[in-house]
Amino acid sequence: MDRSRVTVVIVVLAAALALPFYAGPFWMGLATQIIIFGLLALSVDLLLGHTGLFSLCHASFFAVAAYTTAILQVRYGTPTVFAAPAGVLAGTLLALVFGIAVRTRGVYFILITIALGFIVWGVAYRWSSFTGGDNGVTNVPFPSIGPLAVTSHLQYYYLVLAIVMLCALGYRMLVSSPFGLGLRGIKASESRMRSLGYRTALHLYVAFVLSGALASLAGVLYVYYNRFVNPVTGSFQISVEVALMAIVGGSGTIIGPFIGSGVLLGLRNWVSSFFELHAAVMGVVFIATVLWAPDGLVGLARRLRKRRTGIRKDPA
Amino acid sequence: MKQSALEVEQLVKEFGGLRAVAGVSLSVEAGQRRVLIGPNGAGKTTLFHCITGTLRPSLGRVSLFGRDVTYLEEYERTALGMGRTFQISNVFTELTLLENLTLAIVGTDRRKWTMLRPVRAFGSVREEALQGLEAVGLEHRAAETAQHLSYGERRQLELALALKSNPRLLLLDEPCAGLSPSERQRISRMIADLPRTTTVVMIEHDMDVALGLADRVTVLHRGSVILEGTPDEVQANPKVREVYFGHA
Amino acid sequence: MTSTILQAINGVSFAALLFLLASGFTLSFGLMRVVNMAHGAYYLLGGYVGLTLAEQTGSFAVAILGGGAAIVVLGYLVDRFLIRRTGENHLAQVLLTVGLAFVIGDVALAIWGGDNLKVPVPPFLRGAVELPGGVYYPKYRFVLIFFGALVFAVLWILYRKTQIGAVVRAGVDDREQVSATGINIDRLFVMTSGLASFLAGMAGVVGGAFLTLYPGAEWEILVFALVVVIVGGLGSLEGAMVGALIVGLLDAYGRWLLPEFSYFVLFGPIALLMLFRPRGLFGTEH
Repeated sequence: MDRSRVTVVIVVLAAALALPFYAGPFWMGLATQIIIFGLLALSVDLLLGHTGLFSLCHASFFAVAAYTTAILQVRYGTPTVFAAPAGVLAGTLLALVFGIAVRTRGVYFILITIALGFIVWGVAYRWSSFTGGDNGVTNVPFPSIGPLAVTSHLQYYYLVLAIVMLCALGYRMLVSSPFGLGLRGIKASESRMRSLGYRTALHLYVAFVLSGALASLAGVLYVYYNRFVNPVTGSFQISVEVALMAIVGGSGTIIGPFIGSGVLLGLRNWVSSFFELHAAVMGVVFIATVLWAPDGLVGLARRLRKRRTGIRKDPA
Repeated sequence: MKQSALEVEQLVKEFGGLRAVAGVSLSVEAGQRRVLIGPNGAGKTTLFHCITGTLRPSLGRVSLFGRDVTYLEEYERTALGMGRTFQISNVFTELTLLENLTLAIVGTDRRKWTMLRPVRAFGSVREEALQGLEAVGLEHRAAETAQHLSYGERRQLELALALKSNPRLLLLDEPCAGLSPSERQRISRMIADLPRTTTVVMIEHDMDVALGLADRVTVLHRGSVILEGTPDEVQANPKVREVYFGHA
Repeated sequence: MTSTILQAINGVSFAALLFLLASGFTLSFGLMRVVNMAHGAYYLLGGYVGLTLAEQTGSFAVAILGGGAAIVVLGYLVDRFLIRRTGENHLAQVLLTVGLAFVIGDVALAIWGGDNLKVPVPPFLRGAVELPGGVYYPKYRFVLIFFGALVFAVLWILYRKTQIGAVVRAGVDDREQVSATGINIDRLFVMTSGLASFLAGMAGVVGGAFLTLYPGAEWEILVFALVVVIVGGLGSLEGAMVGALIVGLLDAYGRWLLPEFSYFVLFGPIALLMLFRPRGLFGTEH
């Protein structure tokens, strides 16, 4: 890791830890959301940034986990100690099924994941006797395990922060392991990987399932924050927005998806306070990113710096 | 008779009615250096792909070390001891040379599935990777990404990758294509210096390289074997002169 | 028994609509390698424009042509100024056109509001026809089946039997080949993309007359179109037709037999396909 990145990580972490001392409840809520969606974006980026697969169904794992936990907690009164792992498990099981998408590559993979994602949304929407339809599942309590109970948004914020930091550490371990290197090898040249003895489809499948598990964890964290879940949670819009988060913040890094999450959620909150067409604004952000910042803010900053100092771009 | 490293029986590969390989049989003894030659369109590369597992033959069988691998995937053949290079350099351009070699080393064992231990904690792998780079003279560039390599250096890395999966059978698809004479010499010396425990089958266009390295030469023409023999026999054969050297 | 038949007609008429949308999508991909996720938004916007035209002029024909034409203009501008800048980067194309669809959807919401709107159908297309056995079925949906079949026939003749179609087909297989024939490939691209846009806009008007138009309809219809092209194989006109029939029928029977899981029914063909034919029924390597 170079020094500027270490600095960014330290600044972001310090800001996150100190946030409750200078921010009100609104900003705390937003920050919790940013961290959770950052984790979801990170899970998408395990595929996008490391294997090159662009998945647009991650809201499905997120939503299935959220629904499972919510339904268990609200309708069956299951304690958190079972409901939360069950949520992660349910989302991961779905990833085991949707993982067959790795039989395809490129455009086909993108289109198939979109279609798969819509199936989950459609079931959440139509199977109203179980999912509550449009209204979803409401009144999800704060998590509590035995005598340890979260009783305030502040406590939950720190809990989320701690879990997400652990995830980030685990993720860092994963991407720097031989397995993680193998994923980047597949991104660089799948045919070469096969000739070196890698069963690449299996590698990608495992990565897909791990990524789905991480997205499911984000879903469980989300449902305890949001206190309710409805079909929107599993919508295509969420899938594609978190992918954009990863790209905006810098794909292939760990801090990037969190920065992207902050930028996009911050922007949306700000815009929606004074402008009605905020979906259109998000659309413009998509277009602008593709046209002017395809490598995210990090890439954009690098380009601007180069232009300012007059260094020509590397021809290779 | 020595055990054969590679056995191809009556192999046919058709592309939409066109027979690229029309019933080729080959038997390469362990330790041998075999060169496949033939004019363009002779079916060399198609045959090569059927041996590596990139393509599935339409008919016929391929065996490695006495085991039928016709229906095995490329990665499974690699696990049996096959290593290969590509005609067009196929290296991991976005990764460092060290990472390139690391992937080749752990590719044939279970370490490739290690998830919770960083690559740098594998000291022995690093050592081995550096040795692999040293063998092709690229050790001083270990930390650079492969995209900064010249064309010739990429060929060298290509070979290093194939060698580091510890092959008993090395399949080389025109390893010297596009190289300068001095680079060509360097690569052919490296191939010549390989231990005799490694069987080598290579496609080569350059006659000097081919005949200098080969124990035996197989000449392909229009998808069939027209001759197999020692380099001297092949050079002396009028039929080969006709199809290959282009004059009667 | 009668329900089974009615559902079949439902399915085929929905298939006709899906074909209008999917054929444009699949042809743009086949020839130009463009993945246009705004296709659903084109459908919705075309439908809304047609709705306004129908209300103003009272003519369904004007609505269809106008809805299609509006999208041709929009599609041309989008191709020229946005999509072309992505080169052949599919990821960029997807993000860009999804963004565009968000913009179109939101602007349409601001103009036409959030209610379900129905494009008025002219009197001679209203009412029901009597089927043998005394069953009644909406006339409009029968006409839609014929219309879909007609469009397929026209496209198929264009594609398989004309000079221009031969060039497009050659372009689908090998683009350099087309450039080498000296044919103006840019003009060919503009024409194909114009045709795709027109079909999408027109589909919006035709579909808006029985499925109604509402915010979010663009994504629902797009997903069905995507499944059609996944099943049929990207870039194949025949694939789009067969895919549309499979998806249309599955959807109709799914809605009837398993109303809560009608979307889930779509998963079956995708999963089977991925296991056995990852590139779709008529798909080729790209």
